[in-house]
Amino acid sequence: MKTNWPLNSVVLALVLVIGAVSCWEVFLRNKRVRPDFDDGPELWADKRGMVYQPSNKATVFIGSSRIKYDLDIDTWQSITGTHAIQLAIVGSSPRTMLKDLANDTNFKGKLLVDVTEVLFFNQSPGVSQTPDEAINYYHKRTPAQKASFEIDKLIEPRLVMLNRDFYSLNGLLDHLHIPNRRGVIVAGLDFPIGFAETFYNRQTKMTNTFLRDTTRINKVRRIWASIPKRNSAPPVTGKALDSILLSVKHDVNRIRDRGGEVVFLRTPSSGPFLMRENKGYPRGKYWNKLLAVTQCKGIHFSDYAALNNLVCPEFSHLKRHDAVIYTKGIIDILKKETDWKL
Amino acid sequence: MVFNSYTFVAFFIIMLILHNLPFSWKVKKINLLLASYIFYAAWNPPFILLLWLSTIIDFFVGKALYVQTNKHKRWVLLVVSLIGNLGMLCFFKYGSFLLENFVMVCNALGIDYHPAKPNIILPAGISFYTFTTLCYTVDMYKRKSKPVKSLLDFSLFVTFFPHLVAGPIVRPPQLVPQFESPRKASKQQLANGLLLLTLGLFMKVVLADTLLSATADAVFGHNGKLGFLDAWAGVLAFSGQIFFDFAGYSTAAIGVALCLGFVLPQNFLYPYAAIGFSDFWRRWHITLSSWLRDYLYIPLGGNREGNFKTYINIMITMLIGGLWHGAHWTFVAWGGLHGLYLCAEKAMDYKRPKPSPIIGSAPEPVISTASIIPELPVKKLNGDFLKALLTFLLICITWVFFRSASFADAWQLLRAMFARQGATVPLLTTIAIIKVGIVVSLMLIFHWIMRDTTVLKVAGKIPAWGVGIIWSLMLVLIILSQESSKSFIYFQF
Repeated sequence: MKTNWPLNSVVLALVLVIGAVSCWEVFLRNKRVRPDFDDGPELWADKRGMVYQPSNKATVFIGSSRIKYDLDIDTWQSITGTHAIQLAIVGSSPRTMLKDLANDTNFKGKLLVDVTEVLFFNQSPGVSQTPDEAINYYHKRTPAQKASFEIDKLIEPRLVMLNRDFYSLNGLLDHLHIPNRRGVIVAGLDFPIGFAETFYNRQTKMTNTFLRDTTRINKVRRIWASIPKRNSAPPVTGKALDSILLSVKHDVNRIRDRGGEVVFLRTPSSGPFLMRENKGYPRGKYWNKLLAVTQCKGIHFSDYAALNNLVCPEFSHLKRHDAVIYTKGIIDILKKETDWKL
Repeated sequence: MVFNSYTFVAFFIIMLILHNLPFSWKVKKINLLLASYIFYAAWNPPFILLLWLSTIIDFFVGKALYVQTNKHKRWVLLVVSLIGNLGMLCFFKYGSFLLENFVMVCNALGIDYHPAKPNIILPAGISFYTFTTLCYTVDMYKRKSKPVKSLLDFSLFVTFFPHLVAGPIVRPPQLVPQFESPRKASKQQLANGLLLLTLGLFMKVVLADTLLSATADAVFGHNGKLGFLDAWAGVLAFSGQIFFDFAGYSTAAIGVALCLGFVLPQNFLYPYAAIGFSDFWRRWHITLSSWLRDYLYIPLGGNREGNFKTYINIMITMLIGGLWHGAHWTFVAWGGLHGLYLCAEKAMDYKRPKPSPIIGSAPEPVISTASIIPELPVKKLNGDFLKALLTFLLICITWVFFRSASFADAWQLLRAMFARQGATVPLLTTIAIIKVGIVVSLMLIFHWIMRDTTVLKVAGKIPAWGVGIIWSLMLVLIILSQESSKSFIYFQF
């Protein structure tokens, strides 16, 4: 392979790449975008590997997106002095994760399960797809993937441009919002930037910029309102519901049989979203039945004065300030009403 | 370890430094060997034992085969090596498939047999390194080349990390002599290697993973009727994805080896510019097709025993080639369809220009007239281009079997491509269709433009600033894609 193209093109390429990347990064920072973490299987698997800490040193959280916003990990850790391992996955049912932990005989710790009824009692394969991928990734993770994550951990929180949802090539192309043919169902929900900022500990929160921008908040509210149109299946009832509850009971019992402890949480929601949830999933038929079948302690936000006046700005998740209040409230309740040593 | 990961970047930088330190050649080779084992073990450490087993058996059996004069003993040695290599491949790759088919036959005969489903993990790259060691054994048996003198050189030949998990499939004479004397990349080789590595990663990360894979996955994973546009977009997306994924790996592997001063054989030569199917197989996965030709087709008799036997030999070769890709009947169908194409082409023997020679033996005038924006004379745009386009479209049909999970899925997709489906719900977004349209069109144009030359030769004709800009554009797009660490499709083969 004898070729003679000048080597100074290597230097030119390097200069251009460094220049382009730097300009892009500076431009994004000037738009007040902050670096965060991609909440993908790599980050989830990193946390999943931590569940084997002794139960007096760590508590595991599974659920959907609400607990990722509503649990303030820093508050939990500073008050209890124990580690909060966040394994909840956005838009998913925690039943898949519960089964994974139940199957893992080495897990004997404390587990808090966030219940968002529309997802928890959902039978659609879509709600278990992301957890399945994450669990599969964790169990098949190679030494090379672990090493890559260790390097990524150093780079990702330092560069805004590595925000995959908005500033990757596909993120940029998707946000061109080119109209689709009638009938095309777009996978995923098109949340505005700032709605979900995720950190290395998998804490998710809304940015202050987002909270100040009613247009963006209203956009998220409209997305929640559109969900019933996307998923027209009625709430699960009858034998199908019984089967779900028995499966949950089986998994909970397996964890408890080996010394683990399980508590269910109903995190806050507000406004029309809460009304719709109460109508579709009446408490007596779902939440109360879940606790009765599993014989577990449950903490429903509406039962406690400290929690029931918290308001979700976009009807489904708490802002950081209220997440701190919610977390403190949960710790108090757990201390008073369970024998958990926190 | 995959090339498109942070781990590999760190690993490769360390390797480049170590390889350029003033150690003796033996120490450098030991470094390379240890690094190759780390490269492989970073995927699944226990499977390194298989690699060692294969290396040890073939080194000693190969030596014995070469010196042994007793015919009977030579035959026994050959069988030992074949059982060792093919036995391992059969167990890990075809174990479940064979059992599944055995159960199916039993059930068809009325025997109620339902064994537990075996949970066999496929070691990465087993098909590739098995073929590498197999050709050494056969060469030794036929005394085509001399045995490798040292175990270190042989181990490095089998394990050399750039080609280990997904080829190119190397032959002993292509690589072993390069280990015999000290090698270090010149500045030009290093720059060439880095350019090829960048190009390979660009093909894999940007084109295959970022722009095409989601569309292919959506269409091939769709349960239900598909419309004409969705079906064709999905199949075209996969046609592009499989090329960019595999050719991307080969290009990166060649680039990585070149950075260390070693030359690996070409594996792809703009296959979608092929005019006809024999031309396609001279351009697609060249090292596999030449392996199958030399170690299967020719020993079967090739085209030396009349037309009918030639057709049979082509079909056997292509069916086995299909099965090599995966333990599923859809892969066999893919190979079979290519076999039928080749037989039909041979039967028709239509008048077409002779296929372009493999690079290296290309006539000078062809190369000298090549440039990034070459002249496209009108005559070149008519018949030949249309024939290449027809070849591509027929190859797209074979990809339907290659990518579909079952024959039912494949038929459903083919029906959507060629027959009216009635009312269907559109699946793909407009942006997905645009991405496929642009990438596949550009791919076909580039393949046609580049069909008689190579990237490095074209780079040599462009001004330095031009190479710098194109190179930087590829790097920026790789960084922007953020699709690191996705596995390569051919790892599963």
